[in-house]
Amino acid sequence: MTIESFKSLRWTDYFLYTILDPRELYRMVKQKDPDPFVLSFTIPVAYSIFAILTMSLTGKESNFFYHKMSYGWILIFIYTLSKIIIYSSLIDITAQFFGYRGNIKEIITLYNFSLFPELFFLPVVYTFVTIDFAPSFFYILFSIVFLIWQVMILTQSFSEMHSIDFNKSLFILILPVVLIGLIFFMIAVLLIILAVGFIA
Amino acid sequence: MDKQRKIMTAILALLALIAVIAVIDISLKIDKKSKSDLKLTLRDFGQGIEIVRVEGPIEMSDNTRAFGMSQGAEGVIKQLNDIEKNSNIKGVVVRINSPGGTVAATQEIYEKIWKLRKKNIITVASMGDVAASGGYYVASACNYIMANYGTITGSIGVISYSPNLKRLFDKLGIEMNVIKSGKYKDILSSHRDITPMEKTLIQEMIDQSYHKFVKDIALGRNMNQDDILPIADGRVMNGETALNNKLIDQLGTFEDAIIKAKELASLDPDAPVYEHNVSPFKEILESMKNIFFGRFSVNKELFYNLDRIEYR
Repeated sequence: MTIESFKSLRWTDYFLYTILDPRELYRMVKQKDPDPFVLSFTIPVAYSIFAILTMSLTGKESNFFYHKMSYGWILIFIYTLSKIIIYSSLIDITAQFFGYRGNIKEIITLYNFSLFPELFFLPVVYTFVTIDFAPSFFYILFSIVFLIWQVMILTQSFSEMHSIDFNKSLFILILPVVLIGLIFFMIAVLLIILAVGFIA
Repeated sequence: MDKQRKIMTAILALLALIAVIAVIDISLKIDKKSKSDLKLTLRDFGQGIEIVRVEGPIEMSDNTRAFGMSQGAEGVIKQLNDIEKNSNIKGVVVRINSPGGTVAATQEIYEKIWKLRKKNIITVASMGDVAASGGYYVASACNYIMANYGTITGSIGVISYSPNLKRLFDKLGIEMNVIKSGKYKDILSSHRDITPMEKTLIQEMIDQSYHKFVKDIALGRNMNQDDILPIADGRVMNGETALNNKLIDQLGTFEDAIIKAKELASLDPDAPVYEHNVSPFKEILESMKNIFFGRFSVNKELFYNLDRIEYR
C-alpha cells in the first residue's frame, strides 16, 4: 500500500464494508485495490492488544498486567494467527471437498477482517466496568454477540466468494469446527478411559 | 463516500484512543493499589523475622515430590538453613499445625532449630489447631512457646502400629510366602501374629525414642525430666492446661508470637516479617500431586506394613 493510497483513505472501505456489507467486502478483496492482505493483519494485531485490555479491565489489577501487555500480547497474537491459518486451511479444504475452488489467501484475508467487530468489545465492556453494572455478565453476553457477528461476516463473505447460499456457506464454515470438536471429544473420552484404567 | 471514509477513520482513531485510555486507567489503578499495599506492609527490607511453617504430618519427604520440590521436614530444614545464612534474619516464628510425625524427621527439625537457637537467632513457636507429640517436640526446641487456648498439644509419647490381618487372611485362604534372611526381617508383618520377642524389640526401640523425646523437651524447656514424666504419658491437653504444666510459656495468637519474636530479638515493632512464599504454580503442582498420588498413599497404609515409629 503506497502513501498515496493511504492518504486517499480507500483502505478504510475494507473496515467499513466489514461492518455494513460483508458481500461487498469480498468483492473489494477480489479487486485488490489496495491490496488488503497485509492490511488485514493489522486487525489480529489490534485484536490481541484489545483482548488483553478487555480481560485486564474485568480482572484484578496487578503488576502482571505489564507482562501481559509486553509478552502476553505476542503470545495471544501468535495464538490468533495460528487459529486463523489453521481454521482458514480447514475451511479451504472443506470447500474443495464440496467441489468449490480453493483460495486460502482470500479466506485468510476475510477471516482477519471478520475479527474487526471484536475491537468494539473493549469500549462496550469498558462502559459496563466504568458504571460498575454487571461487567462479568455483559462480558459473557457481548463475547457471544460479537462471535455471532464475526460468524455472520465470514459466512456472508464466503457465500459471495463461492456464489452459494447463506446456509451452505454456514455449513461449510461450521463443519470443520464440528469435526475438530468431535475429534477432541473422542480424545478426551479415550484419555478418561485410559486414566480410569490406569488408576483401577 | 469520502465522508464515510472520514467517519471510519474517526472510528478507528477513537478505538485506538480508548485502548490508550484503558492502558493508562489500568496502570493508574495498579499504581494506586501498590501505594496502598506499601502503607500496610511498611518496609520490606532490613533486619527482621521470618516465618517457618510446620504443617501436617511431619515426614522427611515423600517420594512423590512434584518436580523435585522440597517438602516435609527437608523443606523446613532447607528454609532454616537459608535463615542461618541470612544475616538479616534475627528471629524465627515457627508456626506449628501438626499432629506429629516420624521420629527421624521430627528430630532433624528439632536439631536444626536448636542449632539456630545456639547461634542466638531467636526462635518462637506459635501453635495453631494442633501441635501434639512430634509437633510439640519441634516447638520445645524454641526459646519461647505460645499457644492458643484451644490448641491441642501434649501427647508426649511414641507409637508404632501395624494391622494384624491374620484372621482375615485365614478366612480368605491367603497365605504369604516369606523368604527372609533373618528371623526378624518381617517384623510387624500384617499376615501373622507378633511374637513376644518381636514385641520386646519394638518396645525397646519405642522406649529409647521416648526417653530421647523427654530428654530433648527437658533440654529445650530448661526443666527437669522428672517434672515432665508425670504428664508425658501420651495425654493431650489444651493450651491452658499446657501453660499450667509449663509446657508452653504464654497463651497468645500468631500475631502475638510475631510481636514476641521481635521483642526477644530486640527489633523495632515495625521490623519486617518475611515469609517464604509458595508460588501459585507450585501450589497447582502440589494439588496435582495430591490428586494423582493421594490414592496410592491410602493403599500403602492399608495393605503394607508401616515399618516406622512415630511421635504421634
